[in-house]
Amino acid sequence: MKRELAYGAQSLRSRATVKLAAWSVPEILPTAIYGVAVAKATDSFLAGQVWQGIGWLGGLIAAAGLGAVGARQVYGRLGDLVEPVRDDLVRRVVGGALRSGDESAVARLNRQVEIVRDTFAGLVMVIRSFGVTLFGVLAGLLSLAPLVAAFVVPPFLLGFALSLAVLGMAADRVRASLQADEELAASAGMVFGGVRDLTATGAEEYAERLVGEPIEAHASAERALAKVGALRTLCFAVGGWLPLLILLAAGPWLIGRGVSTGTLLGGLTYVLIGLQPALGTVMGALGDSGLRFVITLGRILDVTQQTEPERPLDTAHGHRVETRGLTFAYGPKAEPVLDHLDLSIPEGDHLAVVGPSGIGKSTLAALICGMLTPTSGQLSLGGVAPTELSTAALAETRVLIPQEAYVFSGTVLENLIYLLPDATTTEVSAAIEAIGAGALITRIGGLEATVKPADLSAGERQLLALVRAYLSPAPLVVLDEATCFLDAEAERQAEEAFAHRGGTLIVIAHRITSALRARRILVLDGTQATLGTHPTLLKTSPLYQDLHGNWTPTPPAPTAAHPQPPAGTPPTAPPADHTPPAPTATEDTSTASRHHLAAGG
Amino acid sequence: MTTFGEVAKRGRGWLPLIGLNALIGSAVTLALPTVLGRSVDSIVAGSDYSRWLIIAATLIGLGIVASIIDAFAGAACVAETTAWLRHRLVRQVVHGGPEGARGFETGDLVTRVSANANDAAQAGPAAVTALAAIAPPVGSLVLLALIDVWLAAAFFGGVVLVMLVLLAFAKRTADISLAYQETQGQIASRLAESLTGIRTIAAAGTTAREERRILGLLPELHKHGVVTWRILARSGAQAAVVGPLVLVAVLAVGGVQLVAGKITAGELFAASQYAVLGAGLGTLTGVIGEIARAKAGVQRAAEVLAIDAVPHGSMALPAGAGQLTFDHVTVVADGNVLLDDVSLDLPGGLTVAVVGPSGAGKSVLAAVAARLRDPSTGHVSLDGVPLQAVSRHALRRAVGCAFERPQLVGRTIGEAIAPEAVSPVRTLAAARATHAHDFVSRLPDGYLTSLRRAPMSGGERQRLGLARAWPAHRLLVLDDATSSLDTATERQIGRTLTEDRHHRTRLIVTHRPATAARADLVVWLDRGQVQAVAPHADLWHNTSYREVFG
Repeated sequence: MKRELAYGAQSLRSRATVKLAAWSVPEILPTAIYGVAVAKATDSFLAGQVWQGIGWLGGLIAAAGLGAVGARQVYGRLGDLVEPVRDDLVRRVVGGALRSGDESAVARLNRQVEIVRDTFAGLVMVIRSFGVTLFGVLAGLLSLAPLVAAFVVPPFLLGFALSLAVLGMAADRVRASLQADEELAASAGMVFGGVRDLTATGAEEYAERLVGEPIEAHASAERALAKVGALRTLCFAVGGWLPLLILLAAGPWLIGRGVSTGTLLGGLTYVLIGLQPALGTVMGALGDSGLRFVITLGRILDVTQQTEPERPLDTAHGHRVETRGLTFAYGPKAEPVLDHLDLSIPEGDHLAVVGPSGIGKSTLAALICGMLTPTSGQLSLGGVAPTELSTAALAETRVLIPQEAYVFSGTVLENLIYLLPDATTTEVSAAIEAIGAGALITRIGGLEATVKPADLSAGERQLLALVRAYLSPAPLVVLDEATCFLDAEAERQAEEAFAHRGGTLIVIAHRITSALRARRILVLDGTQATLGTHPTLLKTSPLYQDLHGNWTPTPPAPTAAHPQPPAGTPPTAPPADHTPPAPTATEDTSTASRHHLAAGG
Repeated sequence: MTTFGEVAKRGRGWLPLIGLNALIGSAVTLALPTVLGRSVDSIVAGSDYSRWLIIAATLIGLGIVASIIDAFAGAACVAETTAWLRHRLVRQVVHGGPEGARGFETGDLVTRVSANANDAAQAGPAAVTALAAIAPPVGSLVLLALIDVWLAAAFFGGVVLVMLVLLAFAKRTADISLAYQETQGQIASRLAESLTGIRTIAAAGTTAREERRILGLLPELHKHGVVTWRILARSGAQAAVVGPLVLVAVLAVGGVQLVAGKITAGELFAASQYAVLGAGLGTLTGVIGEIARAKAGVQRAAEVLAIDAVPHGSMALPAGAGQLTFDHVTVVADGNVLLDDVSLDLPGGLTVAVVGPSGAGKSVLAAVAARLRDPSTGHVSLDGVPLQAVSRHALRRAVGCAFERPQLVGRTIGEAIAPEAVSPVRTLAAARATHAHDFVSRLPDGYLTSLRRAPMSGGERQRLGLARAWPAHRLLVLDDATSSLDTATERQIGRTLTEDRHHRTRLIVTHRPATAARADLVVWLDRGQVQAVAPHADLWHNTSYREVFG
């Protein structure tokens, strides 16, 4: 709460606020003069002095004209005050999402930022006019008859205090409503992104329920809020109507004490035209906008105020990779994905990492590239821990191309020079030539044509990402199954292009052919890792034998010709059969083996 | 087309209550100045004073009760209408199939369901309260005329001015709201796009550049936003002048009448209050702003609700082996012929590979076979029954489809495999057959692991996608669905498929010669046309066939 209020207060520290407050001053005058003018005019009329009465009314018009000039300026300044806040929040949400990868940020951007914008503007305006009215009415009442003020102000303040007490009740419900709203956006995003798959599975009703639950949760939270809203209305009655009734009830006594008819009417006017609307709006605003502002802003600040880890180092010394006892697990309870790995990758090496999927190949790539921090053990890239290197230094040292190629809406060229913005035309053409993306780029319409990512196939996106990586200034290239959607020939061309590019190439192999092209091969097998060359591994690694044996480049004839897996070797060697307490996994292996026996028989 | 009226009508149950309370509120508002005026007169006259005080207190009490009910009913009505509209939007998108949602981006659809639906739901209460909000100015005119006709004349001039201000306001706000919402949607779409490449962006350290790209639209949003306030500023200033203008006119005329002895001081007070009521822009501006927002929201919802649901027949499938027939199937989209008069008769229970160069129409053939889209002409039948005639339930039980890039939907991994699993046994069986179990069992919570929090590679996703399609009992359509698997796993799944114990028809789109070799038949496509249907071994002699595999 403090943080949100501080943010709000911080946002008010601008010249727009000063101007807003300054332009509010003219508005105090019509408010203050209202009751006085009505009182004096009425008394003049009652005394039969028509022109004097009309004179008082003319003064009211003049004051209102002044107030209108102020009002116009105030709304204008409000935009200058609120829009920068909205801009700042959009920046925070976008920045936070890009750093955390949190997909619910899209919903946050649409809904929550708008809520904060609207509520902030509302609060500023309402509190401002509450102040204007209070000042005006107090000034007017005191100049008219301090006695009347004594009857009007205390019940008004009582109602205001009561309404503040109701605020606390609403907070939890507002929070529930917001949570449901976020949940809704997240599941709706999942469902709308998967319409094709839902149709194919016939899971339409399931999808409706999946989104339907948060829809209902949101509705019920809003209904609960409606009840609090009703209670708030009751508090309003105390602050808004009680002063009026008290004034009426005390009327005969006041008249007896020499208060004029006009003054009594002026007092009623102040309550009805001044205090009542001001209380109504300020209570509505604090109860609804105020809570929404604090809670929504809190959610935005929660997810966008990430402290990025310190990356103090600016330079790596070369790009040699060394690991000693490198261990990584995705959680404190989870099985380690990598367990005490010792590995040395000298500059200029060409290493392929092979093993069944899910074994930790991508994790190793992410560790080397400084995207993950080791759970224990040591890892160095160019002599320093990659997580210590600044992102700029990292980008100049290594380039990581993941399986999911990123192509954005923009020109082909913009996509290609993403990692080397000042690439020359010659460099770009050379890279396109080397990777073999020329035909694709011609089909899209040339370098200046705009790409729509959704119109490209996964393989085409990968080709563009590969050209981009080829252009990167980094000497260490890590292809993390970056060619998996390409055909074998395109994959060969891409890998060979990188091998001849100079520097180190690490290929997280998707096909075993990648291993044949590499100088050295790292076989990951659950908790074990074996390093060697193709001939040595064929002798020493049963898993490599199996992986290699299962691979048939271009099978000349159908089914019968397939080699059986070597007897006694688990077919995919799921890593879990090295970990004792995993009964399900063991069971699974035996099932898999049975399948093979059945197949063999 | 869904209209403002249709959304408004949805609040039927609440609207009479909201309307009634608004009317009571208006009536109290209208009666109160007269009653207060009489009270003041009675105080001055020193007679009948307690009677008027009691009447005033009763009226105020009634008004308070009405506004309490109104506060609850309004919010409840909007909550219910929002939920109703959201359910409808979701149903429409989901039942519209892949073709229906094609024109929309996911992030944009989410905005329509989360933000715009809420705006649209204000339609009913806003319309009703707008009607009730008109009552005080109109009633004030009548009551003023009853006090003194000249007061009414002075008032009338003021009300006309106020109406003009309001009209100008409503029109411009609708335009500006729409432009603002659209820009907002574009920013969201760009962010969604960047999030698909988050790993690349993080690795390249280009987060700041992506930020700039997405935020490039921010100045435009800022501009639209500022314009909104400028319009408010103009109407705010107009309101500030127009309000007292009417009041002063009425008071001046009333003062003259008071001096002439035609009205009392209390009546002058009442007249001043009616003048304020007539000019009181407060509630009316808010309501009209809401109507403008509701209009924009309804329009955004209507575009989604215009999606046609995929029609299904009511037939069950007869007993059969899963014979798949294409009868002169042509698919045309945006003027491009994707499939050109394809006729195929594939016997049931076989493995059929679909091969061809990129853009040959393989995926379209698969989509048509699984009825994820319909042919422009011709039809596809399964065991003699056209797919369009089969009931949705029967169709999806019989036909399973797996994709190159499956989008997984569900709270947990288990739900992503079998959304409506009656027992975990089938989920487990499917996961084992497709080797998804290998990695799922290594996750911290196994099948109960939250889908959103489980990081998965493309190959892992594909295995879950396969497991999801696995229970289909007559036809499996795999559209490049094993392309991300590593060689070893791919081979094992390939074998499971070839030796399918359930003897389903398997239509497998593939780039791999090994898969084509294992299939009983190969459908060779090129530029939307069938080149040949034959076993791989027979086609292998053909040079252009071999070129398909590079």
